[in-house]
Amino acid sequence: MNYDQARYGDEDRYEPLLSEKDTTSVDVDEASPLPEDLTRDSLELPRLSEPELARHYTRLSQMNWSVESGPYPLGSCTMKYNPSFTEDVAADPSGAVHPDRSDGTIQGTLELLYGLQDYLARIGGMDAVTLQPPAGAAGEFTGILVAKAYHEANDDERSEVIVPASAHGTNFASAAMAGYDVVELPSGEDGRVDLEALEAAVSEETAALMLTNPNTVGVFERDIEEIAEIVHDAGGLLYYDGANLNALLGQARPGDMGFDVMHYNVHKTFATPHGGGGPGAGPVGVTEELAEFLPSPQVREREGHYELYEPEQSIGKVHGYQGNWLVLVKAYAYIARLGDAGLKDAAAKAVLNANYLASQIDLDIPYGPFHHEFAATAGDRDAADVAKRMLDYGVHPPTTKWPEFVPEAMLTEPTEAESLDSLEDLADAFDSAMNDSTEEIESAPSKTTAGRIDQAAAARNPRLSWRALGEEE
Amino acid sequence: MFEAPEDRKYLESHEYATTDGETATVGISDFAQDELGDVVFVELPEVGDEITQHEEFGVVESIKAVSDLYAPVSGTVTAVNEALFDQPELVNEDPYGDGWLLEVEVADDRSSKTSSPPRSTASKPSERQ
Amino acid sequence: MTDTSRHERTDGSPYAPHTSEETAEMLAAVGVESEAELFDVPEPVRFDGELGIDSRSERELRAELSETLAKNDDLTEFLGRDHHSHYVPSVVEDLTRRSEFLTSYTQYQPEITQGFLQALFEYQSLLVELTGLPVANCSMYDAATALGEAARLAGRVRQASGTTVLIPEILHDNKREVLANYVDGTDLEIGTYPMDDGNVDVDALAEHVGDETVMVYVENPTVRGTIEERLAEVGEIADGADALFCLGTDVVALGLLEEPASVGADVVVGEADALGLPTAYGMGLGLFATRETFLRQVPGRLVGAGEDAAGKRAFTLTLQTREQHIRKERATSNICTNQAWVALRTAMHLAYLGPDGLVDLAGQCVREAESLSEALNGLRGVKAPVHERHHFREFLARTDQPAPAIARDLETNGFAVHVVDDHLLQVCVTDVNAAQTDALVEAFEEAL
Repeated sequence: MNYDQARYGDEDRYEPLLSEKDTTSVDVDEASPLPEDLTRDSLELPRLSEPELARHYTRLSQMNWSVESGPYPLGSCTMKYNPSFTEDVAADPSGAVHPDRSDGTIQGTLELLYGLQDYLARIGGMDAVTLQPPAGAAGEFTGILVAKAYHEANDDERSEVIVPASAHGTNFASAAMAGYDVVELPSGEDGRVDLEALEAAVSEETAALMLTNPNTVGVFERDIEEIAEIVHDAGGLLYYDGANLNALLGQARPGDMGFDVMHYNVHKTFATPHGGGGPGAGPVGVTEELAEFLPSPQVREREGHYELYEPEQSIGKVHGYQGNWLVLVKAYAYIARLGDAGLKDAAAKAVLNANYLASQIDLDIPYGPFHHEFAATAGDRDAADVAKRMLDYGVHPPTTKWPEFVPEAMLTEPTEAESLDSLEDLADAFDSAMNDSTEEIESAPSKTTAGRIDQAAAARNPRLSWRALGEEE
Repeated sequence: MFEAPEDRKYLESHEYATTDGETATVGISDFAQDELGDVVFVELPEVGDEITQHEEFGVVESIKAVSDLYAPVSGTVTAVNEALFDQPELVNEDPYGDGWLLEVEVADDRSSKTSSPPRSTASKPSERQ
Repeated sequence: MTDTSRHERTDGSPYAPHTSEETAEMLAAVGVESEAELFDVPEPVRFDGELGIDSRSERELRAELSETLAKNDDLTEFLGRDHHSHYVPSVVEDLTRRSEFLTSYTQYQPEITQGFLQALFEYQSLLVELTGLPVANCSMYDAATALGEAARLAGRVRQASGTTVLIPEILHDNKREVLANYVDGTDLEIGTYPMDDGNVDVDALAEHVGDETVMVYVENPTVRGTIEERLAEVGEIADGADALFCLGTDVVALGLLEEPASVGADVVVGEADALGLPTAYGMGLGLFATRETFLRQVPGRLVGAGEDAAGKRAFTLTLQTREQHIRKERATSNICTNQAWVALRTAMHLAYLGPDGLVDLAGQCVREAESLSEALNGLRGVKAPVHERHHFREFLARTDQPAPAIARDLETNGFAVHVVDDHLLQVCVTDVNAAQTDALVEAFEEAL
């Protein structure tokens, strides 16, 4: 596809910084109603008129890729289309309430949250759900704290969490943040959990096994029932990382596979926009045995009245209030729009799209059968260079060089939202980039706003603000 | 393919120490710097600190990987290559020369045989979540 | 796809573009008869039941959810604590809803995401100007989680010296609970120091700080809205014990109150969503800034300036080896998805206000609190403010009559205030509700 990204600016830079457009300094004492010793002396910030501001940010937006720009097949990220109407629902001024309002005055907000708790519980096959964690990683941390509280309540202190080597980095970090030693489980030859290695890893110290299913190469852990048995027999809990739940919507449920606790990545599976990195939401679902440990407050219904309450042995709070409200509303609207048939169809089409795309490209895919994503290998090419070259063909490349056990991995997740035509564009981009010369891929990209960025130089000399840039001059 | 001068000994984790005399120069091998990619940051002990063979004494980072450094010898640090704080790329450009890490006054020469300490987990990049 | 209008379709995902012909073509290319064959899920764990979620059309859902949310009472809120809002101009709403921003991912391919990277670099830069500290990350979830991260940072950099994180005796309970969970997996313990008439009891603090202290946390304004008067002394006390001085604040207060760097703050955390984000049931944006010394201990993403192949200035995520996707269990934090889009809103709102606009807005927070507390103080049976301090946005009012009953009465008349205890209410006023203060005072009088 023919593509050129917008490129404003001059010889030295692209769009000027706010501070390069205006810098205004004010004497704070003069304007202040407070005694001088309680205030700052001066303040220097940019000040742009509304037309200038609109132009600045419109230009920045044009120098940015998004789901609405084109395919965005980042494996493990589920960059699906974000329905417009959910934005309108979230913008409803009746929903703009302060979290310290009394329950009786925010029945609408609580009803919606209660409804979402219920929807998510159904989808995950879980008994109770908290909506408080503001992101997937926060959900992991919450889930592991819940597991910890459960063990402690049983006078059963445990010190380890088992994480497959191929897991998302957040799993390791979340378990460590909760104070656990992380035991890394090597991947089996087929990319799945090796049952013998798992047997060897579990012990009376095992608090939980964190697992993604389908795993990070899109392959379903067929031995999930045995895995659950091994972990449960050792007294541990089974944790489901919901990053890949889009593959299973309405088709299979973590609760039915033996998982005790899970998080949902609402900004992946339930189509809420990623916003350039966030906000997301990471609700956590648990089985009945763990429900009393969930964060406070939860929403419940009593004779048509909704109220907040603190679960009996709650771990307390993981967010200052009740999480990312605007994201949760959009997730509710999305789930309700799809319903049973739509959710099931979303998973089916996501899996079909991944398989179709895989059938159209020339790259090897060492692990399968895969579902909503596949890990192709760039073979003797550098996957990162191939990815940069794909940018020139008007698509966003897949996740590269991860998982690590796949050589030169290109982890690709097209999602259900890509059309047949768009998948063909993607396949062309893959194959063209793979066939281009080493020189071409190493010097790519050329069609994007910026050319290849020297990340090593940026890291050796970190300049993190316009003040730092100014000091250098 | 990669240079590995014979005037020094190597750990399996690819740190080296020169073997002549009581003072050893410590660095990482040509192979290690290539595996790691462009080095952007080096964390080293201070002069006067003790390091112990096979134990961690610092960290070397590229953009997308972190590697612990294991001591090839035991001893007292007598000099630190301060040029690396401004120019960590010297580790890539000249690992056996200007890209050295430490000078160490070797404590005990008995354990000159190298064995294999646990290889650090150098992790790679990804884009996800 | 059926003949039903797309927005009414309920037999599949309305956001999967496939026609039935295309689906058939794709199945044939893959070599299967049906989508079901592509699922390698063993029979016992397949789900064949009904989730029981009814699909509604877009039109139905908009009506339904609007009806649901309309069940919220229409109250004028005089509520604050850790969730403040100021008027957000339409231009901010409009620009941030551009899909190029809203529907983009984290900038792992910087060449094609310069726009968002620059916006985040500008956000970091604005916080650097406001705090005086040279390093600001490009977002935490909210003020409470930012405080939790600050305590963990203090634990890492001062682990040799001690384990106690000192927080004010009076702090929002929510924040205290989040902090407790963030340090649950560490050796850190939480201790408290006493307050004196709403502010830090500096002399008592000096007694409480010792060798075991790794961090002293102070808020300005405090959770009761009072403005601290002896912050530089706090900085010296913390410094004297080699503990970090962590200051909690918000992005509007920063425009007026003492600059954190000038009072010796090592870390600044707080609410950056006070600008850019309207009231959103507690959704936030955590501000996090610190000194250069702790650069490699900073949690979360950082955007840096560099150069591209053409030799032009370009932006990129940098120092990523701190983060979970590279350093795994040894990362500075587990945070991945953050609040980038809210940071975009905050930066935009700040640039819209400019320094004079920000100082004016902050000044209004002081003046409105002062005049509303004076007006309430004029009512029989009310003492406001309770603390003999300067206030920012909010203050306590002591009532002779039971506070919960007064709050209920106010609610009936269309106003929400915080109940602090049996005879204490907390009232917060900003530009958003300033025009309703007379009505509040009137309702208050009636409630008495």
